[in-house]
Formats: sequence, C-alpha cells, structure tokens
Amino acid sequence: MSVFVDVAPAGATRPTGTRWPAWLARVVLPLLSLLVFFIVWQLAAASGIWNQTFVPYPSTVWRAFIDVSTTHDGVRGYAGYLLWEHLYMTLRRVFAGVVIGVAGGLLLGLLMGSIPWVRSVLEPWLTFLRALPPLAYFFLLVIWLGIDEAPKVTLLALAALPPAAVATTAAVVAVPVSLVEAARALGATRRDVVRDIVIPSALPETFTGIRLAVGMAYSSVVAAELFNGIPGIGGLVKDASNYNNTPVVLVGIFAIGISGLVIDGLLRSVERRAVPWRGKV
Amino acid sequence: MKVRKLIAVAAAAITAIGVAGCSVDHSKSEAGKPTLRLGYQTFPSGDLIVKNNRWLEDALPDYNIKWVKFDSGADVNTAFIAKELDFGSLGSSPVARGLSAPLNIPYSVAFVLDVAGDNEALVARNGSGINSIADLKGKRVATPFASTAHYSLLAALSQNGLSPSDVQLIDLQPQAILAAWDRGDIAAAYTWLPTLDQLRKTGKDLITSRQLAKDGKPTLDLSAVSNSFAKDHPEVVDVWRKQQARALTVIHSDPAAAAKAIAAEIGLSPADVEGQLKQGVYLTPQEVASPQWLGSQGNPGNIAVNLQSASQFLADQKQIPTAAPLKTFTDAIYTQGLPGAITQ
Repeated sequence: MSVFVDVAPAGATRPTGTRWPAWLARVVLPLLSLLVFFIVWQLAAASGIWNQTFVPYPSTVWRAFIDVSTTHDGVRGYAGYLLWEHLYMTLRRVFAGVVIGVAGGLLLGLLMGSIPWVRSVLEPWLTFLRALPPLAYFFLLVIWLGIDEAPKVTLLALAALPPAAVATTAAVVAVPVSLVEAARALGATRRDVVRDIVIPSALPETFTGIRLAVGMAYSSVVAAELFNGIPGIGGLVKDASNYNNTPVVLVGIFAIGISGLVIDGLLRSVERRAVPWRGKV
Repeated sequence: MKVRKLIAVAAAAITAIGVAGCSVDHSKSEAGKPTLRLGYQTFPSGDLIVKNNRWLEDALPDYNIKWVKFDSGADVNTAFIAKELDFGSLGSSPVARGLSAPLNIPYSVAFVLDVAGDNEALVARNGSGINSIADLKGKRVATPFASTAHYSLLAALSQNGLSPSDVQLIDLQPQAILAAWDRGDIAAAYTWLPTLDQLRKTGKDLITSRQLAKDGKPTLDLSAVSNSFAKDHPEVVDVWRKQQARALTVIHSDPAAAAKAIAAEIGLSPADVEGQLKQGVYLTPQEVASPQWLGSQGNPGNIAVNLQSASQFLADQKQIPTAAPLKTFTDAIYTQGLPGAITQ
C-alpha cells in the first residue's frame, strides 16, 4: 500500500473556473486508467503469448472471486472460509498490530523527540528493526510465541512501530522554537507547552507516520500469515500459490490492494478532520 | 551536472552488479554448446549423486549442464510452464497437478527417484493421549500444505473414517512444526526427515508412508522431462536415465559413497544422510521399469494409477476443477526403450 501525501492544503478553495477539470481529474481519470488496465489485461491474456497460469483471463479471475466468495457445490469459499472471512481475520490482525505498533511508536517518538539522550539510546535499535525484513525474524516469533494469533500480531506491530516512531520524532523535533519560547514567555508550564504547542504542531506529520505504519503493516500480511495463516488473505495467497492456482492468488492480491486503498482513504479523511490546520501553521 | 553524475554512478553500480552476478555462478557455460537445464530439490535422491559426481557433465560433453535448485514442486511446475527446464524433480502431488487441467504442462514422468517410506510419517506427541489415528479427532495436526505429506495425512485420515474437517489441520513448514511441537501447540504432525527424527524423540509413529504405499496410496519423488525436449533429443534422455539408474545402483551397492555425495550437496553429515537413505524406499533400476512403477515400452505401469488418484485428491481439495482421466497419465509416462534403457 502506498501513501500519498496531500501536497495541496486539503479543503483549500479553488477558483470556480477549475472546478470541472478538477472533478474530471478526480473521478474520470482513475476510472479511465482502470478501464485501460482491464483492456490491456484482456488483450495480454487473449494474445496467448503467456500461459494461462501466468496471465489468466479477467473472466477466470472473476469466476475465482465468485467461487471464493460463495458456497458452491457444498464447498465453502476457499479452504472452508469465504473471502470476507479471510479478509476479516486479516484486518483484525492488522488492526491489533497497528494499534499496538502505533501506540508504541507515538510514545517512543514523543520521548525521543523531546529528550535528546533517549533518542541517542533508541535510534540505533529502531533503525536496526526497520532494516529487518519480517521474514527474517518471523521464525523466531513462532518459536517464542507459538503458531496462533500472537506471532502474527507481534510481527505486524513490529512492522508498524518504526515508521510511527520515526515520523513522530521528526515532527516533535521540528516544532518551531519560536512558538515554544513565545508560550514560555507568556507563562506556560512545561506541560502546557507539550499540550498546546508540541502535540498540535507535531500531529500533521505524525498522521503521515501513522499512514506509513499502516502501509508497512499491510504489506507484511503475507509474511505474517505464512504459518497457519488460514483463515487470512495472506494465508490464502500463499496456499493458492503452492498449488499454482493463479486466479485465486490474483483475487487475494486484489482484495489486499483494494482494502488497502479503502483504509488509506479512511485514514486520510480522518486526518483532514483531526488536523485541519495541516499546512497552515 | 549533478544529474549526469548520478546517472554515471547508477550505471557503474548496475555494471558492477552484473559483473558480480556472473562471478558467483560456478557452472562453467561455454558459448556455442546447447544447455541442458535440470531442476532439482534437496531431498536425498539420485539427482544429488549425479550432480555431485558430475556424471552428466562427463556423459554429455557436448552440452552445458545447468542445475537449478528449487524449494517446492509448485516452483518446478512454474519453471516448466515458463519453458525454463528440460528436466525437473518433484513430488507425485505436483506432477498430478501439472498434468491435470488447467495447467496441462507438456511433460512426462521419466524416472522414479524414490518412494516415501519411513522418511515421512505421522507422529503423535507423547502426553497428548493419542494412540491411534482415530484419536486425532478434534486435535491439531500440522503438515506442510500442498506437499506429499499433506496428501498422505488425508489418505491416512480417510482410511480411518475421518474427514479433513474432523481434525484441525494446520499449515506449517517442517521447521515451524518442530517449534510448535516443542511448545505443545500441536498434538501430531505429518512431516519428513530430518525434522521427523527430532519429533520421534518425544513422540511415536501412528503411520508411515511405507505403510500407506502398501495400502495403495504411495507418494513418490519423480523426475519429469519436457515433452518437446524428449521428442527432439531422445538420446540425451537415454543418457540421463542411465546416470539416474547408476545413482540408484550406488545407493544400494555403496550407501556410504551415495551418502557422501548427497551430504556434500545438502550440508548434512554423511552419517545423517545414510540414516535418511535407509528410511526411504529406493527402487532398483529393474523395479523402476517394472509394471508396478514406470512399466515398459508400450505398457505404461501402475504409476499412472497413483497419479490419477493424486489428481482425484486435488479435485476433492478443490485445487483443480476436475480430476484428469487415467489416459492423461498413462500417456504421460515416458517408457521409450524401457526396461532395456535403464537396466543394461
């Protein structure tokens, strides 16, 4: 999942003359790109250059989607679970992992941003953790935490923590000194400064960190569900690829990608509501 | 100016990576000679003996020999589909899937590397109170999904009147099985050596693949040859089969030498490998060409029936739409020149 950062201040008024093109760019262009994608896909599949296993027809993938989403011939979805159940389990794990990871990351970030020696102590560890691919340590999590939910949620939390911590640290460090000094001069206590100056001005940047964190966690779901991952979208993708079942793999990939887009969209609207002052201070 | 410098650095880096990439590839390939591409896996088999002793290089001096390592049969299938392999080794389950629709991979079974024996087994953990397969009802049983062990586990369950939904099946790779076992997270597991021997220290066998083979549900490691290659170069297939037969003979006549060659390829001690070889079933070349397995020219053997039953299993698992008919599998046994081609 990629993270797009709003460059233009959200909700800024535009000249009325540009309304139509803006609408065009927002709705028609994405649809057009989607349409072009499906046409290219259909042509690629129909050309016969590649084997069906590599490039199945869109209609084959659609049929796989229907099969995975319904009970048919007495078979329930894929591996006994419907698509939404796989997705639900994955989202639950991601949610738990992100909540733990982001909470830890925010706390660490706040500490590291405000107390220089804490930053010196923790920064190497964070960078170390950030450089590790989850697959490298997932096996250790299995040994320590077993094969149920704990290692999966821990892995996702570990993936989500560094981006949140790094962004928060940077945001806290970047709080304008002039504002802090002005508040102090007006008689604010240390607590007042943190509450009224540091947190509000660090929040927009922190939100970007949270979105990055969710993205990192989301891109680790297949790794997290490598062992005993069914039900789960990552487990579904891995299992289907073990059987060279490309249509189901693609269904899983689309499910991960689209739900990722939806989650990022939700986070962006939360961001617009929670920090309307972004770009204005 | 800066951009240009950056591009120069990037170009230099890419060149360096390209050069470095070549320098770690030990296989000497000479231009002008055709290349024979063989996919292998690291289960102990004649493949590794042939590779380690460089028999193919000696027997086919007019070819570049390129061995490619794979971690699963699904990956070997993918490589065959991409036309990247001439020969490839994989389990009977992936072969059954490759030969069935929708994959319909144009390859044929040309050799039986081994038959799973006591090297694959269903083990119950001591203290879990499980003494028979029927006791597994409702318990957590782990196996690597899509493997031959998975197939054997479900066959063993159905023998005892249990359906897959009667137990909690868990998809774990062997090393994770060991971790979950030590923690007490699973009651039983169907897996293979060397993990299996470690499980046996604190558990007991409920059934082994040797028993299942006797009951008509064998799992095998096979070698497949691409149909187009076999058609164009039958003489190369003959040479290759001779080397495979020679490796089987060595496993029987000089297990220590066989173990040493295999150990060098997979990084285990020769003693460990020798133990593993004892637990597997390695056929003699005569047996490979017998009606029970590949059969002889014009009379494809019983292996087609085994593959058809594996295909039926995949269809029951909903991993393929329908099982392929028996004829698909009898047609896909490469019996050209058998038994003479490998027994002489």
